[in-house]
Amino acid sequence: MLQLHDVTKLYGSGAAQVRALDGVSLSVDAGSLVAVMGPSGSGKSTLLTIAGSLEEPTSGDVVVGGSPLASMSVDERARLRRRSIGFVFQDFNLLPGLTAAENVALPLELDGTRPRAARQMAIEALEGLGLDTEADRFPDQLSGGERQRVAIARAVVGDRRLLLADEPSGALDSANGEAVMRLVLAACRRGVAAVVVTHDAQLASWADRVVFIRDGRIVDGTVPPPSPEALLQAAPEP
Amino acid sequence: MSVRHALLGLLSEGPTYGHQLRQEFEERTGDVWPLNVGQVYTTLQRLERDGLVESDDGASEGPQRAFRITAAGRDELERWLHTPPDLSAPPRDELVIKVLVAISLPGVDVRRLLQVHRRRVVELMQQWTRLKEDEGELDLAFALVVDAELFRLDSVVRWLDAAEGRLKRASVSEVGTDRSSGPRLRRRLVVR
Amino acid sequence: MTVPSGPVPVAARPNHGGAAARRAVRRWSWRLFRLEWRQQLLVLALVVVAVAATTVGATVAVGAQVPADTGFGTAHDMATLSGTPGHVAAEEAALRHRVGRVDMITNEQQRVPGSTDTYDLRAQDPGGPFGSPMLALRSGRFPAHPGEVALTPGLAAELHLHPGDTWHDGTATRRVVGLVVNPQNLVDAFALVVPGSVTTPTSVTVLFDAPLSVVGALTVPVSVVGRGVYANVLNPETIVLALATLGMLLIALVAVGGFTVLAQRRLRSLGLLASLGASRRHVAMVVRANGAAVGVAGAVGGFVLGLAAWLAARPMVENSAHHVIGVWALPWAVVVPAMALAVVATWAASARPARAVARVPVVDALAGRPAPPAPVHRTALPGLVTLVIAFFLFGASGAAAGQGGGMPEMVLGLVVLVAAIVLLAPLCLSVLGAVARRAPVGMRLALRDLARYRSRAGAALAAITLGVLIATIVAVAAAARYGNSLDYVGPNLATNQLVLSPAPVGVPAPDATKGGPGSPLGLPGPPPGPTPAQVRAEDAAMATSAHQLATQFGSGTTALELDGSSATLVHTGPGRTFTGTVYVATPQLLQAFGIAPSTIDPAADVLTSRPGLSGVSGLRLVAGEDSPIAGPGPIGAPPGSDGHPSCSPPSCLAHPVIQEVAALPTGTAAPNVVLTEHAVRILHLHPTAAAWLVQAPQPLTAAQVSAARLAAGAAGLQVETKNDEPTGATIIDGATIFGIVLALGVLAMAVGLLRSETAGDLRTLAATGASTRSRRVIVATTAGALAAVGAVVGTAAGYLAVAGWLRSNRLDGLSALTSVPLANLLVILVGLPVLAAAGGWLVAGRRPSGLARPVTA
Repeated sequence: MLQLHDVTKLYGSGAAQVRALDGVSLSVDAGSLVAVMGPSGSGKSTLLTIAGSLEEPTSGDVVVGGSPLASMSVDERARLRRRSIGFVFQDFNLLPGLTAAENVALPLELDGTRPRAARQMAIEALEGLGLDTEADRFPDQLSGGERQRVAIARAVVGDRRLLLADEPSGALDSANGEAVMRLVLAACRRGVAAVVVTHDAQLASWADRVVFIRDGRIVDGTVPPPSPEALLQAAPEP
Repeated sequence: MSVRHALLGLLSEGPTYGHQLRQEFEERTGDVWPLNVGQVYTTLQRLERDGLVESDDGASEGPQRAFRITAAGRDELERWLHTPPDLSAPPRDELVIKVLVAISLPGVDVRRLLQVHRRRVVELMQQWTRLKEDEGELDLAFALVVDAELFRLDSVVRWLDAAEGRLKRASVSEVGTDRSSGPRLRRRLVVR
Repeated sequence: MTVPSGPVPVAARPNHGGAAARRAVRRWSWRLFRLEWRQQLLVLALVVVAVAATTVGATVAVGAQVPADTGFGTAHDMATLSGTPGHVAAEEAALRHRVGRVDMITNEQQRVPGSTDTYDLRAQDPGGPFGSPMLALRSGRFPAHPGEVALTPGLAAELHLHPGDTWHDGTATRRVVGLVVNPQNLVDAFALVVPGSVTTPTSVTVLFDAPLSVVGALTVPVSVVGRGVYANVLNPETIVLALATLGMLLIALVAVGGFTVLAQRRLRSLGLLASLGASRRHVAMVVRANGAAVGVAGAVGGFVLGLAAWLAARPMVENSAHHVIGVWALPWAVVVPAMALAVVATWAASARPARAVARVPVVDALAGRPAPPAPVHRTALPGLVTLVIAFFLFGASGAAAGQGGGMPEMVLGLVVLVAAIVLLAPLCLSVLGAVARRAPVGMRLALRDLARYRSRAGAALAAITLGVLIATIVAVAAAARYGNSLDYVGPNLATNQLVLSPAPVGVPAPDATKGGPGSPLGLPGPPPGPTPAQVRAEDAAMATSAHQLATQFGSGTTALELDGSSATLVHTGPGRTFTGTVYVATPQLLQAFGIAPSTIDPAADVLTSRPGLSGVSGLRLVAGEDSPIAGPGPIGAPPGSDGHPSCSPPSCLAHPVIQEVAALPTGTAAPNVVLTEHAVRILHLHPTAAAWLVQAPQPLTAAQVSAARLAAGAAGLQVETKNDEPTGATIIDGATIFGIVLALGVLAMAVGLLRSETAGDLRTLAATGASTRSRRVIVATTAGALAAVGAVVGTAAGYLAVAGWLRSNRLDGLSALTSVPLANLLVILVGLPVLAAAGGWLVAGRRPSGLARPVTA
């Protein structure tokens, strides 16, 4: 669903030049959840914005759903975001003044879906996440956890298949953070490809695969874990 | 000694047979810490010796003996519950020792070493997290134990991260002019 | 959330999401406006006030005019018949034959017993085909048979009659059945009777509709209703609309700053919108739609407010306009464009902020990082070129003013001048940046911020400048005009004065000179004809009457005889001509104003209270029976050209010696220019009593004035009292206050926005240990600096405009600029910045309010 090939991103020029990403390659298949883990300043957020077409790489290719971003115009990228990519940010996800359902329906409406149909799809997405009772509430009437969950509903509404989340539970307590990650995982189990960038190992451990990023380079990655039963056999004697 | 007090805790709910105690213990701890029967009986004997539990008079040694808690046992349980565990003395953590040895050895890539351990710990955390995935089947005791493990492992990862940061700064102050290994400038100055 | 299958289908729907997307974006924008309209209150309020003022102003201005159809009812043609009743009847029959339906109104003029007032006994059919809009019942009913009459309320009061009373008018006895008015002319006093009851008509009016060809062929004189065509482009609607345009321009400038700040406050939301797949066009549309929403809300609110104000003011306006004005008789041709203009202005004001915010990279927008201020590479050249164009446009306006035109050039000049100010304002701000280097830290911060964020501060500065500019133009132009000692303007008299003069015989009421700087007293004294003996006798009688009248106003009232000289000053140079009446400085006059004869130069020919008159060259003192305000020949003729006859005593005195005497009164109708006995002798003049200046110890009341009018009328005199002409000081002070209030209002908003904008900075400052004092210094410096630069630039631009106008104006040259409203300019240049700084200092004491926090979700 998402392929990054040798992506490099430079900011600034001359002595002040900063290499935010340095030859990053990453592939995320449909239905899988990949966590990108690294300390702040490691380039993980840049990776996400480049993967989501919000920024252009200095070099390298990004392919989303089979379409290379390099050949797209600004408007085509906006259209790609409307149709295929859902973002979840750390703490600011919902537009004030729009209800939860309207927020979820917005990308569909921006893409030309009629309001009635868009609302129907939005309600379905919210129901899928157990948020149907919150549909007509405004962002300031929702708790932080509810807001993040609505954001996830928006990220997967319609036939969007790439969910990009930047510290999606960073501003939440652990229970709400866990709930958010469960939703992301559930979306993946239904076929969405998801990338979560975080510095938090507990969040990252929800992923099928964790890649480690340091100074703009992917330095390591976990292998898919063996079945959890192995843990119990290996448990130490008390 | 946690097994000793865990058994006292189980007995405080009522008299129980020895083999039942083992089953109960494993259930309550979410099957994470298996116990063998011998360990249970050894512990029970010590408890009986200390007057914290008593067994049915005349009953033979073995699985059929039922144990109950004494008043002293209840006091001991109460005292133990409210006494914080001894966290003052640092445990001799193997990982810490490994890293300490590594930085003193020439030719060892410490950052690489840290990453190897980090990946290993995260893989372990992934496994633990998998256990939580089906929340519906999760019982409370098991969830608490899993959380405890995750937080413990998380703290290891954090320590590894902190250690890496410290090493980085140390190497910068030693080498000084080596820009490539120095800390990256913040991506952009934040201007209003 | 279906399972993905291959590449994403692309181009199935329109590229920009089409109407659905636009609707969604507009809906969100509207919601945001509803959430945050308070933060745009000032722009909103400005639009509301502007539209309301335009609505009321245009309605009153148009309503106050005499409608073109007055006297026509609904007809297009009106014939007035006269002659013997038989002749009238014949003509009427002929007319009826030619044009078909007619409506006949028969009037017989009558006198109110014991009064000079007259009224018409009018026979008219209330249900007539054309005349019905000229009759409206106030109470009771229309007369139904010859024994009944309906009166206008004024006439009924004068006759002490009420509905139900019986009225004997000398020839007939009728019962009063109702009160009626002529809605097209509320001062029309008449007694309405049924058709046929007027037997000896003074005039017969026939209303009808006929094609022009038929009208042309008629033998009777016919007037055709004016079809709303103004010969002059300067009708009230045009003026009001021009003012509204200028006002909207100002509002747009203020709004640019407001919308820029608003867009920055919403930066994260807009970044989020872009991350959801909104195109740049959509992002810009959010800001533009907000601008339009402010415009629409302001236009609708303003219209409603204006309508309410109009309804409240309507009875008053009808009273002074003397005709009924319909509730919905709004000048839609002004109101609708003004409302549209409000929307266009706010929409246009949001265009630049919209474009700017749409260009911020999505990632920066999401982080709430506005684009760093773009370095200004702009040169002063476009601004200076525009300034020069404005200068020459004002010149063109000044040149055309001699021919009564020049308004379009002036409006265009103002618009171009504003454009120049908008172009130059950012450069003025960079001067502040330079000043900042040596200032203490708080001031440095404030000034540097102003210099860095020019797009925001520049618009505010331009708006402040515009306020000051308008004030300066009015003040300087008024000072120049009022400073003219030849064509002297101002109030005619003080409130405790009135002037009695012989009523002109056989001349209608002096409407012809109404409103002009000259007064009815400009007319010569008694008309020629009677013998000198008769004149003397009449003079003596009038003098007696005048003195008797003066006694009515209580003790201490004096009646000073003003002797007409039949001589006048003539200005032979270019520029304005002399206006006013030259009286004779009789000993009594000098004594009345406390002027000791010893203080008068024995060689002086003329004494005056007009400042500067003694310095005017090219004056002649001309004796003669011709009108004193006769011109010096072709306007603008060079001095000493052949257009002027030679000048030698006793008919003419070149270069009269003029002495300025401050003790003389300054009213335009009072003796402000008097001839000395010296001049009277040289010119062989024979002064005669021309008027009496009555001075009471207290201001005259309206009752005293009307009593005086009655008594004067009976004695063959006419009364002139203080008119509504404003003094120069009134205009200049009013303009100064207007400019300062406007500038302060703009500043309040600009600084308020800035404060909410920099709330984060202020928190940081507070965290680093800065006190309330530092906050005060920052806000006060911001306000004071903006006000100071605005005041300087506005004053300079105002002088430029007036100088451009005067330079090419034939009546007033650049020399008119020598009268400087110094105190007012000082108030603007010093007082405005000080006020602004003080206001900023006071306001900054409060902590930034919660409203200042950006909305997060």
